[in-house]
Amino acid sequence: MKYIGFLVVLALTVALAVAVSMPFGAIPPLAPLLDPYHGFWQNSFSEDKLAEDELELNNLGEPVNVVYDEHLIPHIFAANEADLYRAQGYITAKHRLWQMEFQTMAAAGRISEIVGPLAIDLDRMTRRKGLAYGAEIGIKFTQETDPETYALLEAYADGVNQYIDQLDDAQLPVEYKILNYRPEQWSAFKSILLLKYMTDMLVGDRDLEYSNLRKILGDAMLDKLYPEYPIGVEPIIEPGHKWEFKPLEVSRPDSINYPNDQILLDPLPQPEKGTGSNNWAVSGAKTKSGNPILANDPHLSLNLPSLWYSMQLTTPNHSVKGATLPGALGVISGFNENIAWGVTNATRDTRDWYKITFQDESRKAYRYGDKWMQSSIRIEEIKVKGQDAFLDTVVYTHYGPVVYDKTFNSTRQDVNFALKWNVHEGSNEQSTFLKLNTGKNHDDYNAALDNFTAPAQNFVFASKSGDIAMRIQGKFPLKWKGQGKFFMDGADPRMEWQGYIPNEHNASTLNPSRGFVSSANQHPTDSTYPYYVFDNSYEFYRNRRLNNKLTDMKDITVEDMQGLQFDDYYLHAAEALPQMLQLLGSGFENDANAKKYISLLKQWDFYADPNQKAPTLFYVWWREAYGQIWKELSENLAPVTLPNYYQTVLFMKNEPEGEIFDLKKTPEVESAATHVKEGFKGMLEVMKNWEAEEGDFSWANYKRTKVQHLVPQFGAFSVENVYTGGGAGILNATSGRSGASWRMVVELGPEIKAFGIYPGGQSGNPGSRFYSNFIPAWANGEYLNFDLRKADQQEGVLFTTILN
Amino acid sequence: MKFILFTFLTALLVIVFNPFLPYWGVMLIVAVFAALIGNKGAGAFFAGGLGMGLAWLGQSIYISSFSGSSLPDNMGELMGFGSGLPLLALTGILGFLLGAFSAWTGSLLRQLFKRKPDNIYGH
Repeated sequence: MKYIGFLVVLALTVALAVAVSMPFGAIPPLAPLLDPYHGFWQNSFSEDKLAEDELELNNLGEPVNVVYDEHLIPHIFAANEADLYRAQGYITAKHRLWQMEFQTMAAAGRISEIVGPLAIDLDRMTRRKGLAYGAEIGIKFTQETDPETYALLEAYADGVNQYIDQLDDAQLPVEYKILNYRPEQWSAFKSILLLKYMTDMLVGDRDLEYSNLRKILGDAMLDKLYPEYPIGVEPIIEPGHKWEFKPLEVSRPDSINYPNDQILLDPLPQPEKGTGSNNWAVSGAKTKSGNPILANDPHLSLNLPSLWYSMQLTTPNHSVKGATLPGALGVISGFNENIAWGVTNATRDTRDWYKITFQDESRKAYRYGDKWMQSSIRIEEIKVKGQDAFLDTVVYTHYGPVVYDKTFNSTRQDVNFALKWNVHEGSNEQSTFLKLNTGKNHDDYNAALDNFTAPAQNFVFASKSGDIAMRIQGKFPLKWKGQGKFFMDGADPRMEWQGYIPNEHNASTLNPSRGFVSSANQHPTDSTYPYYVFDNSYEFYRNRRLNNKLTDMKDITVEDMQGLQFDDYYLHAAEALPQMLQLLGSGFENDANAKKYISLLKQWDFYADPNQKAPTLFYVWWREAYGQIWKELSENLAPVTLPNYYQTVLFMKNEPEGEIFDLKKTPEVESAATHVKEGFKGMLEVMKNWEAEEGDFSWANYKRTKVQHLVPQFGAFSVENVYTGGGAGILNATSGRSGASWRMVVELGPEIKAFGIYPGGQSGNPGSRFYSNFIPAWANGEYLNFDLRKADQQEGVLFTTILN
Repeated sequence: MKFILFTFLTALLVIVFNPFLPYWGVMLIVAVFAALIGNKGAGAFFAGGLGMGLAWLGQSIYISSFSGSSLPDNMGELMGFGSGLPLLALTGILGFLLGAFSAWTGSLLRQLFKRKPDNIYGH
C-alpha cells in the first residue's frame, strides 16, 4: 500500500515537473519562464546593476578596456584591429544578441523556425529572392579577394560566440524565454547576410506595376503621368556639374518586345513607405566657426531594439564613433579624428525581371536566343516549429532565381519571372565601412567606397582639412534608356544588362562652389549625366526644402544643423493647399465644421508641429482627394503604382481642367475641383468620426508615432504615442511608423564636436532602464554629446569592464 | 514548531541552490531534504510548498522592487494579465506546487524505509 502511495505521488510530481517544462501552444514552458533565479524576472536588472570589472574573452592579443558612458555607450579601447572587432562582437552580443540573431533569421528566411507555420510564406519569399544565396556568394568573394576583412569578420564572430557560450539562463534575453528557443552560433556568413538584408530593406522596383501601367495607359500617357525628369527637380549633385569622364557606350536594341500581358501577381514587398534619409555637409565658408559641419539622419522603420547601436571603437591608430549595426563590423554612420561620413539611400532601379520560357514541365532548360540554356535547382528547406520542414524548389537561371512560378504566388502555369539583382553578385560592403572607420582624407573615402555594391548609398563626407564631398555609390547596371523599367523577355539576349557603370563614372562632387552638398533620396543628377538613372521612388520635397535652407543660411552653427534635422516644414502642403482651397471655392460655407476646418487651414503656417491641428486636416484631405483623382487607376485588378504627389500637385496647378482628371466610367466630366471637393467631403466624414471617437486631432495625436518591438505582438515592449512632429516628405521625417532612426551632427574643427541620438536605447533588454530611454529626448529634437573619449577620461563613466 | 522549521529550511535550500540549479534540480533537493528529516504527509506537503513558494515569491518581489524595472508589468500585459501582480502570484503558486509535491514525494520515500515498530502491542 505504501509503495503504491509513493509511486502515485512520485508519478504526480514527475508529471508536474515535466508539464511545467513544456510549451502549450503559444504559452512558453512555465517553470523556466517564472523561476525567479533564471526566468524573466532576472531580465529586470539594468546593465549597471550587473556591471563586472572583468570578463573573460579568449584569443585576444592584449586586454581590451571597455568604458561605458552614462548612456551605456561602450567605448572600446583595443591594441589592434583583430582585438577591437572581437571585442565589438562580444560587447554587441552582450547588449543586442536576440535582435542581431532575429534579424539574420529573418534575412535567411528562417522565421518559421521560431514562430511556426504562419511565417512560411514570408520565409519562402525571402528565400526565393535569394538573400542567403547572395550572402553565400558574398562570403566566397570576401574570402578570395579580401582575406584581411574576412579574418576580422571571423574575429567578430568569435567574440559573439564566446559571449553565447558564457551566457547563463538568467541573462538569456527575455525574447528567447518567451519564444522558447536558444541562440545558435554566429558566423561571418551572418554578418554578410545582415548587410544583404539592409539591401532588401532599402531597394525596391516597380517593374511589375510599370509593365501593367504601360499596358493600361500606353507609352504616351505613361510618360505624361510618370515623367522621369519632372519640372523643378533639384538633383543631389549640383546642377551644371561637369562630368570629367568619357561615358561608356550603351547600345539600345532597335526593336523591343516587352512581355505584353497584364500581370496579376503580388509584387515583392517594397521598402516601407517613409524609408529614406537626409544627409548634408556645409563647408567652412558657410559656418560660423569656419569648420565644416556634417549631418546625417537615416529614416527607417522605428523599432525596438533599435536598428542602431552606438559605440566608440579605438585602437592606437584610429578612434571612430557613431552608429553601428548589431551584427556588422565597425561604425556605419559616424566620424573619427579626421573625417565624418553619413549615408542616405540612393534609390535606383537595380532590380530587374525577366520572363522565362521553359522548354518543358521539368524546367531544366529555358530559351535564350536560338538555344536552350540549362537551369539549376536550389532546394530550400524551411524548418517549421512544431511541424515537418517545408521544402521549396527554386529554379535558378543565369539571370537569377525564378521568384514567381506555378508553386508561388501564381495560378498560371506559364508565369515564370526571374529576378536579376546585384545583391546576388559577389561584393564586399563590409570593407567599405572598415576603411571609412580608419580613413583620414578624401582619397581614403573614395578608396573605401570603391568596394560598395548595394544597397546603393549617397555617401556624404567632410574632413578636418576642410573638404566636403558627396558620392553616389553602388554597382549600377549600364542600361539603355528605358531598360528594366518594365518586365523584359529573358529569351532575348539583347535585354541583358550591358555591364556596369565604372566607379569613376558614378556621380560625385567635391567642394562645389555653392558651399554645401546634400542628399535626400532625390534624383541623383540633372539630365546631363550620360547614364540612365531611372527610379520610381525619387523624393521631391525634403531635398528642395533642405537645399533652399542651406543656400540661404550663413554663419551656420551645430545648433542650426540640429534644427534643420528637426525641421517640420510641410513643403507638400505649402504647395498643394493654396491650390486646393482655391479649387474648393465657397460651396461649404454653411457647414459649421467645414468652416472651422477651413479657417484652421487658412491660418496655418505649414509647420507640422505636434500640437498643430491643420496638418491632420491637410493630410486627410489630401489623401482623400488623391484617392479620388486616381480612383480609376487604382481600381485596376493588376497591381499598379500611382503618380507621385509632386506630379499630382503639378497637374492640379497647371491643368485643373485637364483630361487626366476625368473619370472615364462616369457620364460627367470631372476636373481637379471635382476631386478636391469630393476629397473635402471625405475629410469631413473622417474628421467627424475622429472627433467623436478620439477627440483631439492635433498632429501628434493623429499620426501616433510608434516605436515597435521587432515582434509586433509584443505590444508591451513597444513605445506608443510618441509626442513629436514631422512626417513623410518633411525633413523631420517622423511619421507613424518610420522616421529618423539616427540623427548625427558633427563639426570637424581642431577638436571634433559631435552630437547624436536615436529613438531607442543602448540596451536590447526590455527590462532595462536603457531600453528606450533616448526616445523622449529624440522626440524633442535633443541630442547626446558624442565627442570622442580618451581611455583615461574620468567624467561621465557608468562603469568599466576589462576583457581579458 | 517542526513545521515552521521545515518551511524555513526548505526556503533556505531554495535560496542557496536555486541560483545554480534549474527548478527540477531544486525539486530533487527539496525531496531529498524531506526524505531525510521531513514531516509526514500533509505536513511535508504544506511545509515544502510554503518553503519553495515563499522563496520564489520573495525573490520575485525583491527583484521587482530592487530593480525598479517595468518588465514584470510588461510581461503581465503581454500574457494578458494587465499587470505584474498576477505574475507574482503565479510564481508563488508554481513554487508552492513544485515544492509541495517534491517534499511529499520525499516524505513518502522516507516512510518506505522507516522500520516498523517491532512490538506494536507490546509493553
